[in-house]
Amino acid sequence: MEVAVRVKNVTKKYKLYEDKWGPIKEIFSRKKLHKEFWALKNITLDFPKGESIGILGKNGSGKSTLLKIITGVAEPTSGSVEVNGSLVFLDVSSGIDSELSGYDNIFLKGTLLGYSKEEMMEKVEDIIKFSELGEFIYQPVKTYSAGMKSKLGFAISVNVDPDILIVDEALAVGDAMFRKKCMEKMNQFKKEGKTIIFVSHDKNAVESFCTKAAWINEGELIAYGDSKVIASYYNEYMSGRKSIEEIRTEVQCHHSLEELSFDYSNGRLSIRLNGYIYNKEQPDIPVEFAIRDMRVNQVLSKKLVRVSYEKDPFLPEHIKEKAGFLVDISEEEFPGFFKPGKFSFEIRYKRENRWNYIPIWSGNVRIVGREGDEGEIQGRYKYRFVVENNQLFLQIDNVDKVQEQVNNIWFENRFLHIEYVAFVRGYQTLSPEDVSSNFYLVNLDTFDEYMIPSTVSETEEITENPVFNPQGKIYNYSKFHVSINLDELPKGRYECKLSYHMKKPPYHEMLILAWATKTANYPSEPYVVGDKCIEIQIKSKYLQIVVSDAAKKDSSL
Amino acid sequence: MFEIYKTMWQKRKMINELARQDIKREYAGTLLGMMWGLINPLLRIAVYWFVFSVGARAGHPVNGAPYIAWLAAGLVAWFFINDAFKSAKNSFRSRRSIIKNTPFPIAILPAGKVLYAYYIHLILLAVLLAVMALILKTVSIYWVQIFYYDFAACMLLIGLGSMTAPLVAVSKDFSHFIDTFLIFLFWMTPILWAVHNVHPELQYIIKLNPFHYIIQGYRDSLFYDTGFWEYPLYTLYFWGFVLVTLVLGNYLFKRMKPVFLDIL
Repeated sequence: MEVAVRVKNVTKKYKLYEDKWGPIKEIFSRKKLHKEFWALKNITLDFPKGESIGILGKNGSGKSTLLKIITGVAEPTSGSVEVNGSLVFLDVSSGIDSELSGYDNIFLKGTLLGYSKEEMMEKVEDIIKFSELGEFIYQPVKTYSAGMKSKLGFAISVNVDPDILIVDEALAVGDAMFRKKCMEKMNQFKKEGKTIIFVSHDKNAVESFCTKAAWINEGELIAYGDSKVIASYYNEYMSGRKSIEEIRTEVQCHHSLEELSFDYSNGRLSIRLNGYIYNKEQPDIPVEFAIRDMRVNQVLSKKLVRVSYEKDPFLPEHIKEKAGFLVDISEEEFPGFFKPGKFSFEIRYKRENRWNYIPIWSGNVRIVGREGDEGEIQGRYKYRFVVENNQLFLQIDNVDKVQEQVNNIWFENRFLHIEYVAFVRGYQTLSPEDVSSNFYLVNLDTFDEYMIPSTVSETEEITENPVFNPQGKIYNYSKFHVSINLDELPKGRYECKLSYHMKKPPYHEMLILAWATKTANYPSEPYVVGDKCIEIQIKSKYLQIVVSDAAKKDSSL
Repeated sequence: MFEIYKTMWQKRKMINELARQDIKREYAGTLLGMMWGLINPLLRIAVYWFVFSVGARAGHPVNGAPYIAWLAAGLVAWFFINDAFKSAKNSFRSRRSIIKNTPFPIAILPAGKVLYAYYIHLILLAVLLAVMALILKTVSIYWVQIFYYDFAACMLLIGLGSMTAPLVAVSKDFSHFIDTFLIFLFWMTPILWAVHNVHPELQYIIKLNPFHYIIQGYRDSLFYDTGFWEYPLYTLYFWGFVLVTLVLGNYLFKRMKPVFLDIL
């Protein structure tokens, strides 16, 4: 690999003086008169030739300092920088003299970059054309707007044809048209095998434009690698989801999901995943596969089957032989887990006795279904695999939409009674044999599930209501009743779901959260039976039941 | 010891280009343009002549040279020294935006400013020589010697510029200090008055000022047909002084570059 810029152990220390005369005094005395600020801490980075490399970091992270050292406009405190080829640095100020005209600035900049007047004469027309400044080129730069200045700076920088172009947030002020033009020009640069170093705090720009990226935080290089991977780390840190330490471990852990295949047979979904996971620094750290129901945060884990990974020839042998993995997930193992909702695929590793979860990077995953499936399959529910932000998700939806509502809730002795209506538009219920429904209580901490069959009874509520039934179909059996034995319900918080089974074609089966908005019909006071206190709660329009200790409830009152 | 001067020599084309850009920048947007490079000094010469000759009645010929001509020769040399020194010492500070953005050998900047001042000086010098030829009604081969003194002045100024520009870049106080010191020097250097007017022992001290060597040289060349070789000791002293400033300039630049790059 040819290297355009090699940064080796570069450290930059700024001296912060309280005394204005400090820097002068210090030259002539041995006393230390400053506080130290480490803008860069031992950075080692290679920028390969012919690639565009992004440098990410928040403001003040040291990225601009690094650039200044690479370009030579600042000197490192220690370490060395090796630059192979001519280099142009473009930043917001663009290094343009505001007294001179744009035209003279072209020659000034050209002179400083080491071009002769004759060489610049050849380039000047291209520069003026690219800058879109027209007649303004002969006006002093101080009359220019910020956007015009940046256009001029960019036009000069790209048209002097450097081997290495360094861009520091310089495109932020240009308009969209010009930005697009710059991007095109830089893409052309890339094709010509030139190196571009692109600095930004905007992960999207880096992600879309750069193949590789480095992330600098508080003067330290956190990660360097594929721009998409680095951008997603950066995003997780900037959005506050993860700390630097967590990301550090993750960075050591290289992972990618490469292929996903799935099938649905005998009423069960099965998924097979393969890819690689390895950690060069800590190869023995235990890693497991995890699937998360994102709404309730229920996580199921699965051991990885380690296989050798041959696609990366640079991996050391002892890592290569178990870098690959294979996971088979079948609904058989996890009955009832795959229900309507959204699921994410993650890996987890144990650190200080705590599981840390990382979404497995899936930016390059190949999804293989049965022929013509295109990542989608219909079984009991509709299953769909999607990749968003380099992360794989499984979206499960009901085949039909169930209209439902909890009408009444009341307590009677040791029982909780719930009455609800449910129907599917277009599916007519003429007899009690046409439909059945179950009521589910799911403990939100343990995810234990209690299923109670409901009894169906006749009602004209839906059939007669023109709002629900404009086509005049028959939904006579759409009223359900369930009685829950409170003795059998352990303490905890429960969410309520109900299922709807069609007993005749098309035999669809739906599972949904119980919708409850008729608050006037529900008990508002907690109900005490034995040592339990039962409370009906509505959380964002869905029914929840809280079973707590009656004694505690009393004492707290 | 002379690294930065080696760079200046290698980049002499760039220095020349920078000096030309500076002239453009200085006079860009003015209607009279380069004319200002003439009007301002000529007016100053006229004012000094009026004050000393008409006001103070001190304008007697100096060793046979008419006072106005003698005064103009000294002042033209001094204007060059003064302007070059002033802009050379600010050369890093005034090019701040470009230093922080564009990688190039910044050590050449003081030399660029000296050359810029010299170009402007050349115009004035041409006018001066023309007027002299009219007043004195003769032209002497010794006039060519002015270019030797110009060269000597340039070398001295490059050294002084390289020495002071890093200091000014670190703190503006140096800039004010030098400006003040130059006013002091203007009156302490025998520009408006002749050196033989003072006590002979005091003359030695006054001659320690290297600027006097230049100004005296201008007058020697124009009026007295005296070559610089006729003062071998003084010439040796002057070049020794230049050598010390050059070495010091190189040292200070190298030593201060990392400091002022961060501060600038």
